[in-house]
Amino acid sequence: MASNKKYWVSVEELKPENSSKVETLKQNEFVNEIPVDQFLGEQSQEDSSATSRRDFLKFVGFSTAAASLAACEGPVKKAIPYVVQPEEIRPGVANYYASTIADGYDFASVLVKTREGRPIFVKNHDKAEVNSSANARVVASVLSMYDTKRVQGPKKDGKDVSWSDLNADVKAKIQQAKAQGKDVVFLTQTFASPSTAKLVSEYSAAVGGVKHVIYDAVSEDAALNAFEAKYGTRAMADYDLSKAEVIVSFDADFIADWQGGGFEGSYAKGRVPSNGKMSRHVQFESNMSLTGANADKRVALTPSQVKIAIAKFYGAMTGVSIGGSLPEAAEEAVKAAAKQVKKAGSKAVVLTGLQDDNAQALALAINESLSSEAFDPSSPLYTRKGNFSSVQSLIKDMNSGKVGVLVMVGVNPLYTLAEAKSFEQGLSKVGTSVVFSMKEDETALKSTYVAAMPHYLESWGDVEIKKGHYSLMQPTIRPLFDTMQFQDALLNWMGNDTSYYEYVKENWTTSILNGSSWNQALHDGVYKNTSAGVTASNEGVVSEGAMNVESAPVVLASGAGDYAVRLAKSSVEGVELMLYTKTGMGDGQQANNPWLQEFPDPITRNTWDNYLTVSKADADAWGFENTLADNGGLDGSYAKITVNGVSATVPVLIQPGQAKGSVGLALGYGKKEGVQEEMQVGVNAYPFYFEGNNVQPVKIEKVSGTHEFASVQMQNTLDGRGDILRETTLEVFNTENAHHWNPQPEVSMMHQEVEADEANLWQEFDTTVGHHFNLSIDLSSCTGCGACVIACHAENNVPVVGKSEIRKFRDMHWLRIDRYYSSEESFEADVEKVEAAPGAISTYHELEDPSANPQVAFQPVMCQHCNHAPCETVCPVAATSHGRQGQNQMIYNRCVGTRYCANNCPYKVRRFNWFLYAENDEFDFHMNNDLGRMVLNPDVVVRSRGVMEKCSMCMQMTQKTILDAKREGRTIEDGEFQTACSAACSTGAMVFGDVNNKESEISKLKEDDRMYHLLGFKGTRPNVIYQVKVRNTEEA
Amino acid sequence: MASHYEAPIREPLVTGDKTYHDVTVDVAAPVEGRANKQWWIVFSIALVAFLWGLGCIIYTVSTGIGVWGLNKTVGWAWDITNFVWWVGIGHAGTLISAVLLLFRQKWRMAINRSAEAMTIFSVVQAGLFPIIHMGRPWLAYWVLPIPNQFGSLWVNFNSPLLWDVFAISTYLSVSLVFWWTGLLPDFAMLRDRAVKPFQKKIYSLLSFGWSGRAKDWQRFEEVSLVLAGLATPLVLSVHTIVSFDFATSVIPGWHSTIFPPYFVAGAIFSGFAMVLTLLIIMRKVSNLENYITIVHIENMNKVILLTGGVVSVAYITEFFIGWYSGTNYEDYTYMSIGAATGPYWWAFWALIICNFIVPQTLWVKKLRTNYMWSFIVSIVINIGMWFERFDIIVIDLSKGHLPSSWTMFSPTFIDIGVFIGTIGFFFVLFLLYARTFPVIAQAEVKTILKSSGEKYKKLRDGNHE
Repeated sequence: MASNKKYWVSVEELKPENSSKVETLKQNEFVNEIPVDQFLGEQSQEDSSATSRRDFLKFVGFSTAAASLAACEGPVKKAIPYVVQPEEIRPGVANYYASTIADGYDFASVLVKTREGRPIFVKNHDKAEVNSSANARVVASVLSMYDTKRVQGPKKDGKDVSWSDLNADVKAKIQQAKAQGKDVVFLTQTFASPSTAKLVSEYSAAVGGVKHVIYDAVSEDAALNAFEAKYGTRAMADYDLSKAEVIVSFDADFIADWQGGGFEGSYAKGRVPSNGKMSRHVQFESNMSLTGANADKRVALTPSQVKIAIAKFYGAMTGVSIGGSLPEAAEEAVKAAAKQVKKAGSKAVVLTGLQDDNAQALALAINESLSSEAFDPSSPLYTRKGNFSSVQSLIKDMNSGKVGVLVMVGVNPLYTLAEAKSFEQGLSKVGTSVVFSMKEDETALKSTYVAAMPHYLESWGDVEIKKGHYSLMQPTIRPLFDTMQFQDALLNWMGNDTSYYEYVKENWTTSILNGSSWNQALHDGVYKNTSAGVTASNEGVVSEGAMNVESAPVVLASGAGDYAVRLAKSSVEGVELMLYTKTGMGDGQQANNPWLQEFPDPITRNTWDNYLTVSKADADAWGFENTLADNGGLDGSYAKITVNGVSATVPVLIQPGQAKGSVGLALGYGKKEGVQEEMQVGVNAYPFYFEGNNVQPVKIEKVSGTHEFASVQMQNTLDGRGDILRETTLEVFNTENAHHWNPQPEVSMMHQEVEADEANLWQEFDTTVGHHFNLSIDLSSCTGCGACVIACHAENNVPVVGKSEIRKFRDMHWLRIDRYYSSEESFEADVEKVEAAPGAISTYHELEDPSANPQVAFQPVMCQHCNHAPCETVCPVAATSHGRQGQNQMIYNRCVGTRYCANNCPYKVRRFNWFLYAENDEFDFHMNNDLGRMVLNPDVVVRSRGVMEKCSMCMQMTQKTILDAKREGRTIEDGEFQTACSAACSTGAMVFGDVNNKESEISKLKEDDRMYHLLGFKGTRPNVIYQVKVRNTEEA
Repeated sequence: MASHYEAPIREPLVTGDKTYHDVTVDVAAPVEGRANKQWWIVFSIALVAFLWGLGCIIYTVSTGIGVWGLNKTVGWAWDITNFVWWVGIGHAGTLISAVLLLFRQKWRMAINRSAEAMTIFSVVQAGLFPIIHMGRPWLAYWVLPIPNQFGSLWVNFNSPLLWDVFAISTYLSVSLVFWWTGLLPDFAMLRDRAVKPFQKKIYSLLSFGWSGRAKDWQRFEEVSLVLAGLATPLVLSVHTIVSFDFATSVIPGWHSTIFPPYFVAGAIFSGFAMVLTLLIIMRKVSNLENYITIVHIENMNKVILLTGGVVSVAYITEFFIGWYSGTNYEDYTYMSIGAATGPYWWAFWALIICNFIVPQTLWVKKLRTNYMWSFIVSIVINIGMWFERFDIIVIDLSKGHLPSSWTMFSPTFIDIGVFIGTIGFFFVLFLLYARTFPVIAQAEVKTILKSSGEKYKKLRDGNHE
């Protein structure tokens, strides 16, 4: 559709009789002649000049004013143009690169969006088959690169050194150590990198042997041990949960970070009812996890009870009687689950997150005996490799002075080890210690050398997340600082001149690519070859002849029955502390990332903190309470917890669904070094993480004081307003008419009941012309993971406001995920209760408190882009108005900040700039320094104080799609329109598109029986639609 | 109008054997005399409060609205509460001077001047809040439909906030003109009595060259009547429009069709309470006991009783309809069990006690003719009406449709400072007024002296005997 529009100045131009006049005028740019001669001509002409004295004075006046104005110093903005413009960079056009994050905790194939050479956004790599889903931390990882707390160059004893000195020194020290017969040890994160494994092995051979110890801060030792014992490789089985009809999980938080994470995509596929079927998910767990929150049935048990439960589950399946005692309801639930699993046969899968070799081995055995289709032990995952026992023997070696040189990469044992003290003592006895780190963290401060490490967006590398599935990591920006990656240093120490890039390329070309193009592989970021010559599976297993760390072979019984018997003997004594990782913080390596600190936890909706989660019954017994302050902020008591002689004071949060007799505490907080003061929040839970075991017996005492939480949601139940978050059961969904379980609201118009959407006071726009955008949110498949929240943050330059402002309910998130607990045992019972006694005072207050083991539901809410928007009518200056494509638009420049729109918004999605959040020392986060501001999206304006802001349905993205298609002269295909949140959603719960394209997925979703509008009875006609949540309540 | 016959059983409106000259002297006394110590003390306190408020306003404007206690859910609190409260107070003046004029209520003459002064000063306070509550108050002029160079930008005539702009500015200007018109003969009186040339100059400017000719008086009467006719609909319209801010919204508790009459009644209720508060003090301080008598107080108490009754019926209606609707979205509005038993129970009960229960005592004649009790009740009503607006705004906003967004509000010292500042500003203006303006419409009072003055009444009644 090339444009042949003709622009004209006036109607006169179009008249044919004027054509000659028009032509003359067109040729003559200045219609009136400029009297240059009069000023610059001969003096004699001055008398005859038309310039009068008055004119002269005007000119003088103007010149003086102009000259003096020009003399004032204007603001200087540095904008340096390219001298030689790189071919691939066009200002204003984004470039995307396929890459991979592998920071030792998060492993995922990603697409990196760069603008003018700056990475600004990390999103899902749709083409990748495994771990294509970027979770909240991965999306936020881009900001961790622009972190002022990064170590900016190599250091020795705290002083800057050059890389050549550092490399020469370390090389010499290593030779010296070898000569003295001392050990050279590499203590690294899990790389899952075939090239790194090969390189380390080559290096080891070159220097005569190094020990390679792999250490995962958050251990999956039990799963690895069990798998290793059964299948011979230190890896973890993979699961395709979309193939499972029955999922029974024993403390496996598989929607979050269980065994490396990445399962939510396949899980969600089975959660949307199609052809009358959906999966059934039963969860036995102690902490209220994201996974438990999504389960159809959740049974709260203490960690030792969960062990007994899995044993009894095995017993129920095989008909063997297993000892140990469980509460009666749990016993029933176990039997029912076993019955269902047996019935489903190969369509069932059993998962466990218990850090117990027997439990893991039992789960593997059960899945194998079921020949579960979801279970894939043949191509396992390599994303966790750590071995805690070898770390312990390393500490022993260090303390006995056996270690000459210790090279640490991507680990911070002085923060993450419970045994940090003995590690520190050992470290002082190590001759030379080198730590490759991005931060001057606890370990870096105690090491001889700090080798500044680049961020993954500045590095080369390769990753084998799952056997046979290779992916590449490529830099998307020139290193910001004087950094060197470990692999490059290693090549240097070997005296090898090649760079790691060349090494990876060489390695891939010879062993992996099988003749296909390197460039293509780099472009795609992923490559699949199940029979490649190199693999990450032998990472940590150094070449033959070298000294390997001997890990004690796992002693496992031969039969599954024995595992079960051992598990059933789990004793239940006192209170058990279960350490877990939060969706936002993970293992804590991104603690200095303000997006993640301000990310509301999907379950507790708390920010900037970790806390002891305690059940209501225990809290009452121990005297803990949560109260609301005058401004609605949440306050909590403090508890002193003691594990094994180590104690800490932590705030208490009463957590519905927490198993009585157990408490939870998140790892990853309380980091002090390499972290900005504002973000040194929470309590470090690693000191309780003895021997990498996440369950510890704990003593709890109440201590005085009140902790001020920063929670974004103070009301946790729906108060019987089931209409807001609609749900039904699979049975009803399959058997009843949609009117029954998803009634569309009706209003009276002309004394007739009509659907709310039909009643109208306004003259309607014709919305069938052009594009009309809708966003569908499927409450069945939304797991509440929050990747969309961070994606929205990144795409739209949403400011970070800090803990004290969040406590005042001034969070700026354009997209939030509401989490509701049922007040009775289910949401359905809540509604029934209201119907039984409407308006009774007791009903009110009872419905405000969540049940002890509630049902949980998530509901992402952003601006609903109402076609009849309450906000639009009330703005006195028309700063918010409706676009022809359905968006409710916010015109920041016009906004005077009356906040009337926010008051009148039934969805409360509007966010006000209470202060200036950018370039203000009071809000010293990424928007207050030049480095952090590099992450800002140039397509979206940074709002000033005093204006309202809200979700724009990523108008900058839809508009770009439209313009691109227009320039290319083509129609837009379904799926091209995306918002940041819909693109970040790895479960497919968010679908965005043009409803005027009748073939589009969104058009079908809009007509779906499950479709409803949030608060539809208000007649706001939102362009955001929800799909009713369906629960599979079918018991065996 | 002076020749109306008045029944002898009616209480005189001017007591204490006042002659025409006495009236002149009494009204001119505060202006011509020197301020006493008490005046200076009260004025100093008011000035300090005003300056403190000014400081808080400057801090707010320079730092951001974040210095107040608002949040994402409660976007208005003290700011609009104070706005509506001040506007409401402003209602009594116009009602007294315009509506009572049309109804030929002579007792208004002693109080209309001060009531109108109060109106104007409180509307000034009210007008402050819509401006400073804006995120970017320096752009406040954007709410005016001024032709501009921004392109096709225009104000949004759908917005009740815009209607407010027109309503308040109209109200302020009409009230000001009406007030000043009434002041002209009285300023002329002061001018004629003034001895210092400077004072004479000032009062002759203020009196717009009033000469006291019959033509002046004729025009004066005509203009007063016309302005009274113009101002009467404003009594109803201003608070109706203020109530539209809430009534046209979609928020439970705000979206209520009875708001306009209910708000108007509430405004008159609070306005009369404030007039009572001010005049009970003033009649003592300015020695006006003979002009502002218990008759006036009782009459005003009766108006309070009536409007208070209207307001009470509105509360009951709101409570009942919310409950009767059967929708649980109405469970937490400001008139609901949820509010009465929720975290804002104290605000709910403050409203009920102050506006609903305490004014009922005025049914007792002994109490409504008692100065002290009237004064206490008037203060209580002022507090109650502030809570009414606070409840409507904060309680309704804090628990809206989606429970996930429920929050609470607690004021910062800036919120409180701004409010106290406006009270200070109001009293600074009122105290200056009391020392420089004729606080009683003496020209009008003189017109009823023969019919309702105690002295003449006695003379006349004596003749009958």
